Amino acid sequence: MSGPGLDRGGGYRFQVDYLPVGTFRQFRILLFPFVVATVLLVGLPAALALGLSFTDYDALAAPSWVGLSNYTHLLEDRIFNIVLGNSVYFLALSVPLRVLGAFALALWLGGERRGAGGYRAIVYLPTVIPDAATALMWLWIVNPLYGPINLILKSLGLPQPGWLADHDSARLVFVMMACLQIGEGFVVALSGLKGIPRSYYQAAQADGAGALALFRHVTLPLALPWIALVAVRDTIFALPWTFAVSSIMTGGDPFYTTLFLPLYARIQSVDYLKFGLGAAATTLMIILAAVALGLIGLAARRGWYADET
Amino acid sequence: MRTRLRALRLNTPGWHLLSVAIAAVFGVPLLFALSLSLRQVDRTLPTTMEWLPNPIVLGNYAQALADGNLIRYGLNSLLVVTVALPVTLVVASWAGLAMARSGHAVQRRMVAFCVVALLIPHSMIWLPRFLMVKWAGLIDSPFALMLPALMGTSPLFALLFYWAFRRQPADLFDAAAMDGAGALRVWWSLALPLVGPTAMAVAALTFLYFWGDYIDPLLMIKSPARYTLPIGLSILQQFDKTRWPLVMAAAVLYALPSIGVFLAAQRYFLSGRRMLWLS
Repeated sequence: MSGPGLDRGGGYRFQVDYLPVGTFRQFRILLFPFVVATVLLVGLPAALALGLSFTDYDALAAPSWVGLSNYTHLLEDRIFNIVLGNSVYFLALSVPLRVLGAFALALWLGGERRGAGGYRAIVYLPTVIPDAATALMWLWIVNPLYGPINLILKSLGLPQPGWLADHDSARLVFVMMACLQIGEGFVVALSGLKGIPRSYYQAAQADGAGALALFRHVTLPLALPWIALVAVRDTIFALPWTFAVSSIMTGGDPFYTTLFLPLYARIQSVDYLKFGLGAAATTLMIILAAVALGLIGLAARRGWYADET
Repeated sequence: MRTRLRALRLNTPGWHLLSVAIAAVFGVPLLFALSLSLRQVDRTLPTTMEWLPNPIVLGNYAQALADGNLIRYGLNSLLVVTVALPVTLVVASWAGLAMARSGHAVQRRMVAFCVVALLIPHSMIWLPRFLMVKWAGLIDSPFALMLPALMGTSPLFALLFYWAFRRQPADLFDAAAMDGAGALRVWWSLALPLVGPTAMAVAALTFLYFWGDYIDPLLMIKSPARYTLPIGLSILQQFDKTRWPLVMAAAVLYALPSIGVFLAAQRYFLSGRRMLWLS
């Protein structure tokens, strides 16, 4: 009754009895380049990064095993602790703002109104600008003497921060830039909100729900999985994003205030040839993202239960 | 309450007002750069807000385009994209088709594989990847920059093709298989033409990735003759710190192809039917 393909894959939705033997295997060959290359270019380096973090390696002599000493060295290092603090600051500020921004904008611009498509395109636009171009444009925009932001503040008689020149405001520039590149989360939010069936709103309205109640009891719970998705994605990719912009704009200055983990890892490994230390810093970045994800998960669960009471 | 909600929805002038403000927040930084790029390069920079330069000149663009180095960097970038784009489309659509034509167990496992690979950030793997490229002797070669294309650039692209192929009627593929068409022929003459919009979206995202890639060329390219545009631009900025209008013109020229590709493909991006994101 069942062809050989059925035994292999286990349960197809469509009938396979009269398919020529080997059809599926034939297609499976097309999967190999992707799987092999992904394992070689993603899986292997990820394993290598973890392995190297326990070694001393300068890319010349063979790596030597040093156990956890890279980690203990980093955690005792004063500059590394500044870098860690900067990274936590950036994560804690940029991720919530980005998620909030993406969903608020998707709620406001998601409808089928005249002109909505144009506004959506403009919101996405900064996301497609290459990092190097974004970095150079913002280097000008936040120039303390001639940049448009400070000139506008000046004409309004407001105080003008030194932005990247000032250690109080330098990190904030990167948060601002990150908050304007939210196109990807915005698209996910748009499709998530669009997927909420209209009948839910109609039913809630028939029960006398107001705009606020609709949002609280229909939109929010149904959008929650999408919000979580964007939050997870942003948490993982927030710090890696800083690499290009901070290398071009500040290189970590002033006084290490804009030195984030990815750039630190590059300086340690490529510039100082301490690949083990760089790998350890990278691993700590992953751990930091994992801790942040845990906190998000905890908050989401608490919010979920609070909702049910 | 219901009427108030409806009033809120139909109150288009108010809606447009806030929407314009939102658009301004996202669009004005670009306009600032554009405005400066049109300013005479040898004049002292303004100390009061100047929305548009007076006079408006295009000389900076002419100068940037006449800069032999920038043109060379641009051609290097173009070379990487020209090779990486078709390779990405082939590998990702192959994987997507194979996944869509597999059994449920394989489909589930492959989707999990893609998601895990997607969640590994690039900055976790660039360091060992750099070492691997070094061991392979590919440092300073444009091939080092094209490597991601071999895996379809991003596992997301394989997933996008997989979703697109899964929406196609299975009978079609069964019929082709019964006619004795091989996997490659089914892929090229039957499957690929069915998923034009997805292929367009993947092509656009792939272009944005390779055209904008900064980390790989920074680490893997040593000789200035092989620099790509982002590296060349950051060097231009370092050496021409005082000539801001020229730097802005170069940055705008560098961003233009990305903007053009986005505008041409935006209906595939912003349709809201499929999530598209790039790591």
